[in-house]
Amino acid sequence: MNFEAIKTILEAEADRLGIKEYDIFYVCSEGISAETLKDEIASFSSGVEGGVNFRCIVDGHIGCAGTQLFEEGEIRSLVRRAASNASLIENDEKGIIFGGSESYPELPPLDFKMPSAAEVKDFALEMQKRLYATSEHITDGTCTGRNASSFEMKLYNSKGLDLSYKGAWEMCYAQAVVSVDGESVEGFEFVADCSDKQLDEIPKKATEQAMAKIGAGSVDSGKYKIIIDGKQMRSMLSAFSGVFSGKNALLGLSLLGDKVGERIAADCVSIVDDPLCEWNPMKMSFDGEGVATYKKNVVERGVLKTLLYDLATAERAGVQTTGNGQRTSYAGQVSIRPFAFYIEAGELSDSSLMEKMGDGIYITELKGLHAGLDSVTGDFSLESAGFLVRDGKKAEAVKGFTVAGNFFDLLKNIVAVSSEMKHGGGGSTCFASPDILLPEMSVAGK
Amino acid sequence: MINRKWLEEALEAALLGGGDFAEIFAENTKNNVISLVDSKIDRIGDNTVAGVGIRVFSGDKTVYATTTDMSREGLLACAANAAQASRELGKRDRIVLTPMGVVDRHPVVRRFFDAEMKEKTDLLKAACFAARDHSPLISQVQGSLMGVEHSILVANSEGLYREDCHSRTRLIVSATASEGGENQSGFYGPGAGMGLEFFDTVSPAEVGLRAARQAIVNLKADYCEAGQMTVAIENGFGGVIFHEACGHSLEATQVGIGMSEMCGKLGQKIANEKITAIDDGTIVGAWGSVNIDDEGNDTQRNVLIENGILKNYMIDRLGSRRMGMKMTGNSRRESYLYEPTSRMTNTFIDNGPDKNEDIIASIEYGLYAKEMGGGSVNPLTGDFNFSVKEGYMVRNGKICEAVRGASLIGKGSQILQDIDMVGQNLATGQGVCGSSSGSVPTDVGQPLIRVKKITVGGR
Repeated sequence: MNFEAIKTILEAEADRLGIKEYDIFYVCSEGISAETLKDEIASFSSGVEGGVNFRCIVDGHIGCAGTQLFEEGEIRSLVRRAASNASLIENDEKGIIFGGSESYPELPPLDFKMPSAAEVKDFALEMQKRLYATSEHITDGTCTGRNASSFEMKLYNSKGLDLSYKGAWEMCYAQAVVSVDGESVEGFEFVADCSDKQLDEIPKKATEQAMAKIGAGSVDSGKYKIIIDGKQMRSMLSAFSGVFSGKNALLGLSLLGDKVGERIAADCVSIVDDPLCEWNPMKMSFDGEGVATYKKNVVERGVLKTLLYDLATAERAGVQTTGNGQRTSYAGQVSIRPFAFYIEAGELSDSSLMEKMGDGIYITELKGLHAGLDSVTGDFSLESAGFLVRDGKKAEAVKGFTVAGNFFDLLKNIVAVSSEMKHGGGGSTCFASPDILLPEMSVAGK
Repeated sequence: MINRKWLEEALEAALLGGGDFAEIFAENTKNNVISLVDSKIDRIGDNTVAGVGIRVFSGDKTVYATTTDMSREGLLACAANAAQASRELGKRDRIVLTPMGVVDRHPVVRRFFDAEMKEKTDLLKAACFAARDHSPLISQVQGSLMGVEHSILVANSEGLYREDCHSRTRLIVSATASEGGENQSGFYGPGAGMGLEFFDTVSPAEVGLRAARQAIVNLKADYCEAGQMTVAIENGFGGVIFHEACGHSLEATQVGIGMSEMCGKLGQKIANEKITAIDDGTIVGAWGSVNIDDEGNDTQRNVLIENGILKNYMIDRLGSRRMGMKMTGNSRRESYLYEPTSRMTNTFIDNGPDKNEDIIASIEYGLYAKEMGGGSVNPLTGDFNFSVKEGYMVRNGKICEAVRGASLIGKGSQILQDIDMVGQNLATGQGVCGSSSGSVPTDVGQPLIRVKKITVGGR
C-alpha cells in the first residue's frame, strides 16, 4: 500500500469522525546486511519495513496510533484510536499541528546506490580474508560485516504541510578475536563508509585494538587522573543527552533545568547540536513535527546557552522550538533528541593530551552504560578498560576496574579536550567527541 | 494469521536457492503503553508490529528476508529474496504443513486490551500517587503501564505449523527524590506473562511505595567506597548477577561460534557446588515464559548447572547444527525483523543450603546489595558489570548505613566459584534483555547469596 492510498483512507476517516487537526507520519526502509564467519558468509539478511502513525488533536491534546499492518480496516482504526488516546491525555502540553517553517535548509543531493547482495557479500568476504591476514593470532569468532539501509520518510498534515525525506546509511565492521597463550580477547571497529580503503583500514584497527588488550592487568583502587577516549566520551554524551531536554527540565528530571545562562562546564567545553554537519550520515532538514532544523550551540565555553525543545515543550517554557522534536519510527511519539551532538574539538593532539596528564589511566572502554548511570542524578559507576599512562606515554593495558563519579561534576572538571574528533553512530542521532582529560577520579580495582 | 497454502508455496519457493531447511515466522503484536508524569497521563503509546521473516538454512549458514507485506504476492516475493541470496539451485519439493496445537500454559483471565482505559489509568495513578504522597522529598514520579499481545506463527519445511498468542503486562514506577539541589532515584517494575489479573496479587500502590522508599534511601545515603569486598546480593532482581555473569555465556549464540568462556566445559565443575541454576520457559504466568519458542519448539525446564557442574547450554536450531546438540526451546527474537537466536527465558539460581540470617551474620565488612539494576557481559572473556540500586554497608554481621552509586564488576567464571553461600528465599525480578536478536523480556531470580570477594566500584 503506498503513501497516497494510506493518506486517502486516513483523511476520509478523519473527515467522517470530525477530526480537523492531524498529521500523518510514514516511514519506509529497506536494508541489506551480510556477516562472515571463518571464510564464508554465515548470515545474510534483507528486508523492507514500513509503518504509519496518525496523530490528532482532541480537546487541545495530541494522541497517536501507529501500525505496520497495511490493511484498510487497520489503517482506518488508527484515527479512532488516536482520538481516543488524545482524549485521555491530561498533561499541560498544548497539542500543536505545525503549519510549516518559512524555509527549510537545503540538503546535499543523496548520492547513494543500494549495494547488491553480491557486492555486500563479496566486500565482507574480502575484508574477512584481509582480517585473518593481519595476525597469526586471529582465531574463531572473528567476523566482518557490511550493512546498508535506505529510508523514506513523509510528513503530511491538515495544515497542508507536505514534507519528504530520503536518506541512506551504510557501514562495515570487523570483529577480530585473537588468542595468545590461552587468553582470548576481541577488538571491534566500524565505520560509516564502505569504500575500498576500509578493506584494509578496519581489519588493521580491529586487530590492533585486540592485541593491545592481551595481558591486561588489574589496577589498584585509588584516585587517578583520567583521559576518556573520544569514542567512549561520545557514548557517555549519548547516555546523558537527556539532561539537555527541555521537557526533562520542566519535569524536574534534569539538574540543568534552571541553569540556562549559567556556567555548567569547564571553559574548554562547548557542546553543539548540528543536524546538518558534514559527518552526519542522516542529515535531516525537518524534525518529526515539520520544524526546520538548524545548528545550535547548547553549551558555549562552559555556559549553558539553551536546552533542546519540541513544539509543545517550547510553548510551555515560553521559548521557540529548537526543532528537536524527533520521531524515530512509526511507533514512536515525538520526543526531544539531538541530531548530531558533539563536544567541540580543542587544541592539543591526543598524544599531547596524554603528555599533559603525565601519569594516569587512558580509558578505551566503558561498559554497562545502559545500567550503570542515571541521567536524573548524574551519577555513574562503569566497568572500564584501557591502559596506564606514565610520563605522558602509553604503558601497560589494564581492565576490570570501575570509574565512578557524577556527570555534572565531570563537565565542570574537564581539564582539556583534544583536537581529534571521534565520530560514531548512524540512525537518527549521532554523537562525536574528542578525548577528554579529567583530574582525579575514583577508580575501584584490586 | 496467514493462509496455509500460501505458507506452503512460500516455503517451497524459499528452498529453490538450494537451502536444506526453510522457516516462516509471522507476527502481529499489539503494544499499548500508558505513561504518567507530574501526576498526569502524559503519553499513550499504541502501535501494531506486523510482518514476516523467512529464513533459509544451508548447513550452518543462514539467509533471512523480511517484509511487512503479508499478502500471497508479498510472501512469495520475500521467499524469492531468501532463495536468491543462496547461489546454488535446488529442486522444488512439495511441502505439507501439519498444524500442531500449542498447550496454553498461560491463559489470560482479563485481557489488557479489553479493559476500559479508565481502569488502566486509575491503576497507574494509584501506583504513582502512592509514590508521590509518600514524602515531600519526592519531587517527581514517572510511571508506565504496558500491555502486549504477541501473536506468532511458525511454519517450516519439515511440516511444522504452530500458532500462539502470548500476553504480557508490566507496571513500572520511577521516583525522584530531591534535596539541596541533588536528585536520587528509586525504581520498581514488576511484570508477568498475564493480563490485568496480575494486579490481583500485586498492589499498584505498593509498587509506587517501593520506588519512592528506594529514592529516599538513596537521597540520604553516602557514596559507597571503592574496593574489593564481600557482598551479599538479595533475592529477586539480584539474579541479574547470574544472568550477566553466566547466563549469556551459556547461550549457543556465543558457545556455537567458540566465543564463550564456557565452551567445552560440559560435565566440568564450573561453579561452587551450592549452585544449581535453571532456565525454565514453562513457569506459569512468568514474565519470560512462552508456550513455544520462535522456532516453534515447546519451551522446557533446562537445568544448566547442577551442584556446580555444567549440564547443558541453551540451544536454538543454528546452535544445534553448530554444536551437534539438541534444541532446548530457547530460540527468541524481539520481532520478525530479527533472526532468532538462543536467549534466556526465566533464569535463576535455585535455593541452597544456607540460612539467610547466617549469610549476613558471616560478613565482617562488606556490602549488602538489596536491589540491583541492570548490567552487561562480554561472554568471550566473561567480564561483566552491574549496578547496585540500593545498598547497605555490613559491619560485624549487621546491616548498617545505606550507600549509593555502587557497581559490581568481575569475571563470570570467577564469580561462580566465589558465590560461597546460597540462601533459601528464591524470588524473581523482571527485566528486558538485549542481544543480537533484539530485546526480549526475561525473568532473573535467586535467593539471597554471598559472594566472598568482588570489586565494588564506588567513589
